[in-house]
This record gives sequence, C-alpha cells and structure tokens, in this order.
Amino acid sequence: VSCVSGGLPKPTNITFLSINMKNILQWNPPQGLQGVEVTYSVQYFIYGQKKWLNKSECRDISRTYCDLSAETSDYERQYYAKAKAIWGTNCSKWAETGRFYPFLETQIGPPEVALTADEKSISIVLTAPKKWKKNPEESSISLEQIYSNLKYNVSIHNTKSNRTWSQCVTNQTLVFGWLEPDTLYCVLVESFVPGPPRLVQPSEKQCVSTLKDQTSTLKVK
Amino acid sequence: DGVAVLPAPQNLSVQSTNMKHVLTWSPVIVPEEIIHYSVEYQGEYESLYMSHIWIPSSWCSPTQGPECDITDDITATVPYSLRVRATLGSLTSAWSTLKHPFNRNSTILTPPGMEITKDGFHLVIKLEDLGPQFEFFVAYWKREPGAKEHVKMVRRGGIPVHLETMEPGAAHCVKVRTFVKAIGRHSAFSQTECVKVQGEALPL
Amino acid sequence: GQEFQFGPCQVEGVVLQELWEAFQAMKDIVQAQDNITSVQLLRKEVLQNVSEAESCYLIHALLEFYLNTVFKNYHHKAVEFRILKSFSTLANNFIVIMSKLQPSQEKEMFSVRESARRRFLLFQRAFKQLDREAAVTKAFGEVDILLTWMENFYQ
Repeated sequence: VSCVSGGLPKPTNITFLSINMKNILQWNPPQGLQGVEVTYSVQYFIYGQKKWLNKSECRDISRTYCDLSAETSDYERQYYAKAKAIWGTNCSKWAETGRFYPFLETQIGPPEVALTADEKSISIVLTAPKKWKKNPEESSISLEQIYSNLKYNVSIHNTKSNRTWSQCVTNQTLVFGWLEPDTLYCVLVESFVPGPPRLVQPSEKQCVSTLKDQTSTLKVK
Repeated sequence: DGVAVLPAPQNLSVQSTNMKHVLTWSPVIVPEEIIHYSVEYQGEYESLYMSHIWIPSSWCSPTQGPECDITDDITATVPYSLRVRATLGSLTSAWSTLKHPFNRNSTILTPPGMEITKDGFHLVIKLEDLGPQFEFFVAYWKREPGAKEHVKMVRRGGIPVHLETMEPGAAHCVKVRTFVKAIGRHSAFSQTECVKVQGEALPL
Repeated sequence: GQEFQFGPCQVEGVVLQELWEAFQAMKDIVQAQDNITSVQLLRKEVLQNVSEAESCYLIHALLEFYLNTVFKNYHHKAVEFRILKSFSTLANNFIVIMSKLQPSQEKEMFSVRESARRRFLLFQRAFKQLDREAAVTKAFGEVDILLTWMENFYQ
C-alpha cells in the first residue's frame, strides 16, 4: 500500500529486546499522535545481504513490537530492522535500529533450578537456559552449546545466620553439605558468560528447608 | 596578571599501586592566583603511528591539584608518555613531559585484604574489591602435619565466596594473593588466617 | 591467567574485556557511519573454520592491516567523534598482540600460511572494492566481528 512518506513523525526508541536469542523488535509510538489510530509495518535486513525484507506478520499492526526471532536466528550474523507509522494515506519515514548482533547482545537467562534437601545438605540441579526455538517440537539448543564458557554464579543464603555466600560453577549439579538441620536456605542463580559485557537475568529466588535432625528426635523418644 | 611567562610544572612522576596510577608534579606557584593544569598522554600506538597526537586525560584536562588519576587512561600494557602544562587565564606554560614513559606492568602489587568467616561448617572468604583487573589465588588447608594445600581462583572481590566444608574440631587456614591478568604478575601472599569450627580466628 | 593461544602463538598481557568495553563504548557511533550495509568485509568465508595452525598467520595479517591501514586512516574520525580514548585502547592493545605474535616461517608450514593468506586476501579485496574512507569506516565498525572470532582463542 503506497503512502505519502514523511507525513507522520517516526516511531521512536526502536531497539531489539533479546533474551536467550528470542529477538523482539520494539518501539515507542510517534510523538504528538495520541488518540490517533496509527498502524505500523516492519522490515529487516541481514548485514552483508542486498535487500530489506518484509515481515508479513508485522504489516499494518497496531502493537508496537514485532517478533523477529525466526528472521534473526543465525546468531553469528548481524541485522538491522526498521518500522514506520501509517495513518490513512500518510506514513512516517522509517525508524531504524543500529546494527544488532545477537551473539553479543542477547541477555543470558537464568538456568532452571531444582532443589532437594535432606537433614544437612541441599542438592542443586541446574538446567542450562535454552535458545529460542520456532516450534516446540524442534529439538532444543542449550545456550551451553553456543557459549562454551557459560558458568553459573550460585549464591545461598542461610536465613537463620543471615549469611550469604556464593560459588561459581560450570557443572550443573552441586551439593551443599554440612548444613544446619531444620533451617531455611534460599538460593539464587545467575548465568554468566565471560567476555563482552552482557546483561544478565538472575533466577527467581527459591527457598528450601533442611529436614529436622532425626538423631535428636530419636533421643527424645 | 604581572606574569610574563608561566613556568612549566616540574618533577613529574607516577605512583602506581594495585593498578591505580597517579601522576604527580610540583605545583607552579603564582601568588594569589589559581593555576590550572592539563594532562595529556600518548600510548605506544600514538608515538609510533601518530607522534604529533596527544590525548587529553579523562579527568585532568583541566584540573587544579598538582596530581592526576590516570588509571582510566592507561588501558594497555605498553609504555605511555605523559605531559603536563600549567595555565593561568590566557597564559599557558610549556609542556613538561615525564622523563621515562610509564608502563602499568611496573605497578606495585600488595597482598589483598580478606575476611574469613564461617557459616556452620562452611569456610567463607570475602576478598577486597580491587576492581575488574584482579583475580585472587586462594590457598587453603587443614592445619595438621602433611596437610594438602588446596587452591581456588576467585574472579571477583567484594562478595563472600564458599571455600570449603570444614571438619569439626580441625583448624583450617587460608592465605591469598592477587593476580593481574593484564600484566601477568601476582602479589605476595597475605598473612595466613586460621579458623576453627565453633572457634574464633586463631592467631598464628 | 587468561591469554590468547593462536595455535602455536601465545599472547599474554591483554585483557579481552578491556577491548570489548572500548569497542562497546563507540559501537553505535562507529557503525552508524557505515552506510554500505550490503557489504560485510569479515565474512564467514574469512573467519569460519580457521584451523589452530592457520590462526596465528591470519590474526597477524589482520592486525597488521588494522594498525597500518584502518586505524591510521580512521584516526581523524576518532577525534571528530570524540572516541579517541576507546580508539587508543584498541590500537595499543592490538600493538601488544602484534608484538607477541611470531608466526613460524618454516617451509612445512607453507600450505597453512597460504590458506591463511587466501582468507586475508578475501578480506583485503572486499576492502579495496570500496571507496577508501567508506572501507576504513566499515572495517573499524566490524571490530566486534574480529573480537568475537579472537574470543575463540582466549583461554
């Protein structure tokens, strides 16, 4: 649909929000058009290729984001994306992102954390974060396969002594032994990839209580 | 201003400890006047490829004090030339250049501060935060004849890190030194500190 | 401590994190000046599947080119865009790496050397096909691709 370009102000703050290679293009509506029913169209470009490509699922949309994960799934390539505002026969110029490099810029999500406790120990099983995939049936790619130096910062808080300490690990199972029985411990885990500064997302805090000391209960009987 | 020519600052020198580098010089004195100084630097690249180019220091162009923290400017392990000049209003002195270029691999490395604590049977260490350049080489052992020394590399200071699980009744000892990747050097070891489960830190 | 290991060539005294931070500080400004988005100099054919043995020759050729051609001709822009400090960090650390690379000149290594040279020529040819200033701007904007490849050899 052709329109008069430049008749509207451009969308603003257009960037990629990328977590585990799920790459969402997002922007703010053009300024000064409150209350106006604006729609948007999106295109993307693979650096080193020849043409801008349409994202058909994001043509004439009213939302201000567009999932370009499939189009930018080759994380070793670099990309640009752009969006324009449309209202009737008027449209804005394109608002364009900087060069987007998924390998460097994606945020590394936290691992899945499973805790089991007994009297004096807590075992922690970590499952590496997974790369975004198009279909649930596709086989998963762990981010460990992409970032061979992926590590985990595990911090554990003793709620009784109010002490916290941490440990940097690469393997996915660890056991904290010699803990205090009948005590609530809380665990937080962060994925970490040495190298370029990357945004990191810590896991949800999970707490588990060590069991009561069986020997003392036997004595009581 | 009654000052025909402003003298150039003298006695330039760099004090560098734990990768914090400070350039100092003798102040230029003009009674009842405030003198400002500008600091510039050149790395090996600039002196080899662009000898006419000097880069203004991040924090001291201009500055009032007769010293300048050049840590943020020295970002490679190469010789850096440094120069300073004084200014008073429209008057500027000649540049005074550090006699010998400064290389950060000459920094003095001191043993790091450390805090040993225990949480139940767990030996925990918190190291002085000396910045991203520093890693810590932690040696720990059970204090008994023939005990094996264990080693752990700790990548960051400032956060409590789990060292090991201690056996009840035995004293466990720790010493640590820093390692600076950028210059491939380490400090001397710190004092050894020992701690016993259900006991306070024991003097050596 | 951490160091580069480009096959037989070992390089200490460079903290890759410092290079990343320097480039990240100027990435948007530098890459925004590159309008020829249809050309990538450091393409997959140049950097993908480089053997350990080749890597020392290739990094030596690339860094030499960057120091003698790219940085030298981009310096005035670094002044213009006020990114001299970050520019200086990259340039001086590239000098440290270059000074420690001693790629072997032995005869047995001829085919490996040639393979690395062909890769470098792919890059250089693409560079020469562009207008000089545009090529220098593009090459400087692709330092993140170069650092990502170098990261594979950082242990």
